[in-house]
Amino acid sequence: MVNAAKRFEVIPGQPRPQIAFTGVTLQLGGKTIIENLSLGVRPGEFLCVVGASGCGKTTALRLAAGLYQPTSGRVDFDGQLMLHPRREIAIVFQDYGKALLPWRTAAGNVSLALEAGGMPSAERPARIEELLRTVGLPGHAGKYPAEMSGGMQQRLQIARCLAQEPKTLLMDEPFGALDAMTRQGLQDEVLALVAASGATVIFVTHDLDEAIYLGDRVIGLLPHPGRIGIELAVNLPRPRDQLSTREHPEFLRLRRQLFDFIKATEQ
Amino acid sequence: MNRNATVWLWRAASFAVAASFIALWQLVANLKLVSAVFLPSPDRAWASLVRGFSNGDLWSKLAGTLEHMAYGWLAASIAGIAIGAIIGSSRIMRTYVAPSLEFLRPLPVSAIIPVAIAMLGLTQAMALFVIAFGAIWPIMLATIHGFAAVEPRLYEVARSLQMSRLAVIFKVALPSASPDILAGMRLSLTVALILSVVCEILAGLDGLGHWVLLSARAFRSADLFAGVILLGVTGYVTSVAMSMAEHRLLAWQASQR
Repeated sequence: MVNAAKRFEVIPGQPRPQIAFTGVTLQLGGKTIIENLSLGVRPGEFLCVVGASGCGKTTALRLAAGLYQPTSGRVDFDGQLMLHPRREIAIVFQDYGKALLPWRTAAGNVSLALEAGGMPSAERPARIEELLRTVGLPGHAGKYPAEMSGGMQQRLQIARCLAQEPKTLLMDEPFGALDAMTRQGLQDEVLALVAASGATVIFVTHDLDEAIYLGDRVIGLLPHPGRIGIELAVNLPRPRDQLSTREHPEFLRLRRQLFDFIKATEQ
Repeated sequence: MNRNATVWLWRAASFAVAASFIALWQLVANLKLVSAVFLPSPDRAWASLVRGFSNGDLWSKLAGTLEHMAYGWLAASIAGIAIGAIIGSSRIMRTYVAPSLEFLRPLPVSAIIPVAIAMLGLTQAMALFVIAFGAIWPIMLATIHGFAAVEPRLYEVARSLQMSRLAVIFKVALPSASPDILAGMRLSLTVALILSVVCEILAGLDGLGHWVLLSARAFRSADLFAGVILLGVTGYVTSVAMSMAEHRLLAWQASQR
């Protein structure tokens, strides 16, 4: 945690970060939620953020989305100051039930993003079908969200986000409400989708195994106020595998390190 | 017992109640417990209905009432949804405007009628104004509530998609508020019918209200009852039609329950 403000400065010769937090502090209702956070996310990087509840990980994600403006410091996207949310940044919310339009079918929900992007209506059906197939929902185009299981609804939300053709995908505990089997399946699907699209990902989770399994880098936040407490590079071979990756000695070492960190923050 | 059978049993029971009510009415009339000048028998009321329709009198009266009702209700719907959307989508507007609405809302519309007559005379415009003014409240209040209750997460989705203000209203807020709005419109339908009749009686405008009034004055009780029955049917049919439209438009809700 030494000199966090300096750590993510742009280094000549290195690619410019796609998302850069520089000395970001956020106060809400007189409380400091995040203090002096500096962080750079490389294009194409899969960054996982973990931390005890109340450490501001969701808030950090909302700052990256442009849904919040920092009290001081700045957030940049592709070298431009982030003043509002943008279509190149898609957010997968944890509460998929609230983030989908209940009066639109699966196809209609995906269509919303295409409409917002100005795609002519004649081109939409083919694209919608393709996207639904990509997330494993072929043949469900006519179903309303309420007729789908939680896992399917989350897939649908991911499809809508992919329809934005995002450069950055922000995921806020997307699988937190799903059962273990569904979660593992979706983890692998997200890895495949991200590998195919080349998108940058910031993935917030409270599941440490999930963070190591998915990420190129894992950041652990300290609470009250939120700041970076630990940063781990994950040098595990890709593609990842639910069995062999999780048995890898490096996985176990990182897991141990992360657990010790979280345990220490909770004391 | 399965659900379907229960539904049919209830329907049969309510039909039986209606039938015995008419039978009782016929009995009272046949026994001349009430003078025929005031209470016609059901068969005489029916005969008057048939006569009225075959010579076209009742058709034109019914058309007049339906016209008043429809124009007033449509005007109330458009204005109510528009004003309700503006107030409902802004917390500041809700804070400032809500007290004035609370003052205007419980005001009996009948108190407005003399004002409307003084300003607009005994005209169709007066009727339109009074009906719309009375029918706007359920729609406007329902719209305000519907707009205020839109899931905030959906607004965030709209922001991240950089949707235009207009697109947010038509693709997110209005559909989200539509169950409330349609419920308000159904309530207003009844109000519009009542006020149509009142305006026809007070201003002598062509319609069933006027027909009922003239029949009563001329002691033509069968015609009077024919008019009243027709008004009842109008209220029932429009309300059923509205329910069916609601059911259709809100088909997506059925899957949520």
